[in-house]
Amino acid sequence: MNYSLQFGQIAADVPYILSGAWPTLWITFVTFFAAAVLGLFIAMARLKGGPLASRLAGIWVTLTTNSPLFVVLFFLFNGLPNWGILLSPIAATLIAFIAISSGYLAEIQRGGIQSVRQAELDAAETLGMSRLQILRFVIAPHVIKTTYPALSNFFIFTMLGTSMASLVGVNELTGRAIEVSSRTFRSIEVFSLVAVTYVVLSLFASAALALVGRWLFRVNARMI
Amino acid sequence: MIDHMSALFTLGNMQFLLRGAGMTLLLTVIGCTAGLIGGFLLAYARGSKGTPTAPLRWGATAFVEIFRRIPFLVTLFLVLYTAQMIVPRAPLFWVAVVSICLLCSAYMAEIVRSGMESVPAPQIEAAEVMNFSRWRITWMIVLPQAWKVILPSAVSYMVMFVKDTALASQAGVFELMFAGKALANRGLDPFLVFATVLFAYFVISWPLARFGRWLEARLARRTHEGDRR
Repeated sequence: MNYSLQFGQIAADVPYILSGAWPTLWITFVTFFAAAVLGLFIAMARLKGGPLASRLAGIWVTLTTNSPLFVVLFFLFNGLPNWGILLSPIAATLIAFIAISSGYLAEIQRGGIQSVRQAELDAAETLGMSRLQILRFVIAPHVIKTTYPALSNFFIFTMLGTSMASLVGVNELTGRAIEVSSRTFRSIEVFSLVAVTYVVLSLFASAALALVGRWLFRVNARMI
Repeated sequence: MIDHMSALFTLGNMQFLLRGAGMTLLLTVIGCTAGLIGGFLLAYARGSKGTPTAPLRWGATAFVEIFRRIPFLVTLFLVLYTAQMIVPRAPLFWVAVVSICLLCSAYMAEIVRSGMESVPAPQIEAAEVMNFSRWRITWMIVLPQAWKVILPSAVSYMVMFVKDTALASQAGVFELMFAGKALANRGLDPFLVFATVLFAYFVISWPLARFGRWLEARLARRTHEGDRR
């Protein structure tokens, strides 16, 4: 055991590695919101669509939630070029992440929509609420309250998952760590720095999500 | 296309992939078993009360929070390089096993904890009044009721986890995804190879997911029947 930790040797690369948090964050945001919208449509198709639409939505959910993201990513990035479709690393990443996440987010939102009871809707109608008012004051608060914890969990999950993008060559936090560690050979230093960065980022994200939930939607989300 | 297919779908290649799938299952079972045990110990430590055990409680909380917030890929690399520092030529399989155990115990700790919290507090207070030790309360009152909540969540975590093990191939561990990469590197059509690997993961994951849903529905029904009696 003749390895001694030398953080000094990577000091010059620290700003470069840490600024990898930006690609990580924007990929997370784009993935999460695009997949959430797509997932909402899939959930609606499953619940309110015709027999064909709801069947197709069900198949999509089964396929995406049972496929490993990493393998899908490799399939898109390494498999498709043989068939003439060349995707850039970032395009492959976004397609794979949004496709897979849409299945999970559809299931979460379906659960939320189903948890609105018919009696509540009937009551709102009896009170003379318009459809828009029902959506705004009855359905939306209920759905957000029931799905918020699961959604914020999934947000953190997506953030951690984006590290896989490094394996097809996206230069985000983990990608930069791999690059610097293969240049300087200070692997443990680099990866422990990145690990701490992920912990800090996701703690901030959890705290922010809990606060947003409390102020905007009156959800009692746990901070940690 | 036909040429590519006949090159890939040979008996030897399929056996190779099947061996990989076996390793994927082995890694999953090791991870989830060790995770359940480790997760229980962590949850037990986190639930302790009083000043003397405070460091234990903080330690367990820190462990769970940290390993739930590091991507598995980064954990894997960290364990890999640390192992190589301590033991030259550390066997990759054990590197994967250690990182899997770290990840699984952190996630299972939360599942076990929420299961144990689902047991009504008055029961525990009553047992405390009767001077039961904490271990006996957990063993005789909490766990017999909590397992019905823990098990379905543990199975659905297992379904997620099967897919995470694909990352172990990145550390050079032989499993399903590694077998797929090896075949693609041998010059077989990567499109077909990874499509086959995807299908193999689906074949493992889907029945497990259905089993999880069945288990959840069945245990929920039994609990409700118990309420009525």
